[in-house]
Amino acid sequence: MRVLTRSLEVWRLGVLNYLEALKLQEKLVTDRKSGKITDTLLSLQHPPTYTLGKRQTVHNLLVSESQLKSMGAELHYTQRGGDITYHGPHQAILYPIISLRDIGFGARKYVETLELTMIELASLHGVKAHAGESGETGVWVGERKIGAIGVRISSGITSHGVAFNIDPDLSYFEHIVPCGIADKEVTSLKREVDSDLPAEELIHEQLISCFVRLFGYNNVIWKDNPSLCDQQS
Amino acid sequence: MATKLWASKAASYLRISVFHRGFATVVKDLKYADSHEWVKVDGNSATVGITDHAQDHLGDVVYVELPEVGKEVKQGDSFGAVESVKATSDVYSPVSGKVVDVNEKLGDSPGLVNGSPYEDGWIMKVEISNKDELNSLLDSEQYTKHCEAEDQKH
Repeated sequence: MRVLTRSLEVWRLGVLNYLEALKLQEKLVTDRKSGKITDTLLSLQHPPTYTLGKRQTVHNLLVSESQLKSMGAELHYTQRGGDITYHGPHQAILYPIISLRDIGFGARKYVETLELTMIELASLHGVKAHAGESGETGVWVGERKIGAIGVRISSGITSHGVAFNIDPDLSYFEHIVPCGIADKEVTSLKREVDSDLPAEELIHEQLISCFVRLFGYNNVIWKDNPSLCDQQS
Repeated sequence: MATKLWASKAASYLRISVFHRGFATVVKDLKYADSHEWVKVDGNSATVGITDHAQDHLGDVVYVELPEVGKEVKQGDSFGAVESVKATSDVYSPVSGKVVDVNEKLGDSPGLVNGSPYEDGWIMKVEISNKDELNSLLDSEQYTKHCEAEDQKH
């Protein structure tokens, strides 16, 4: 019996500006396409940032761009799927840069597995979450959204990913129609759990572990605070 | 069992082959890229779309980014994208040439890609600049084997 080694390099990046994270992903996607690097997972948070997907559904932004600036938030247009969303501190983000062709996953199976990753994390804290119904990709607790997904697949390599609400300032979501869904609330792990949450760092690690297990990696290489300058060589 | 028999009879009448494993259809007489696009060649004109296998693995398509008419495309280069389940997936041109028509119906009805991937869900028409490149594409049998190999990975 031959056991295939499936390696994942995990980068824990702390709080990273959106554009820098985007540039990093673009470089990693190119390197992954050419086989220079193995599957890579970025674990991070963003400062207050609103992003739009490829369809540029800017009608779901309820305030002007200058009002956003005065709130201290940035707005970015991206090539990912999905509608408008908010990212901010205390929200766990994962950007997997992986080869779907290596595991024979299509977009649908990939996204379903990402949903499962967040559902499992929620269940570790006693929260019963579920995947959205058709057209409402994401992770829900009842009718409240706790995790969002928006990905891009280029030559079978993924970028962008998921955002799981640990305890972000949910009032930021009031300035958008989140994910284009008007009548549903946004929630967080903090809101759904009766007791105190453990340290956020632990929750980030748990999210990573759920991802590693569900995607079948058996070799994890940790890279903490990698110098982003290394990536320019 | 009866359904499979019917499917096989219908398939041979329509000149399509059905592989019973996943029920994704592959049409004979088309050429295929291993990135799951199909091309129907008629003289120097090519119609391009994505395969049944591709649409099945993508999920419900909600948006198709069409190329501009007049754009030059190259075999193997991305010519647009398809969005489904919050994922945008690039699509690659199986031929080189100039885009002469795009399927505007996909604007209002992106689901045509799912419901009719080889007919009403066509994406673009290209005036081919290099017919020799067609030789590097897969025929229906080779494409079927390619899909089977990919799907066995998980």
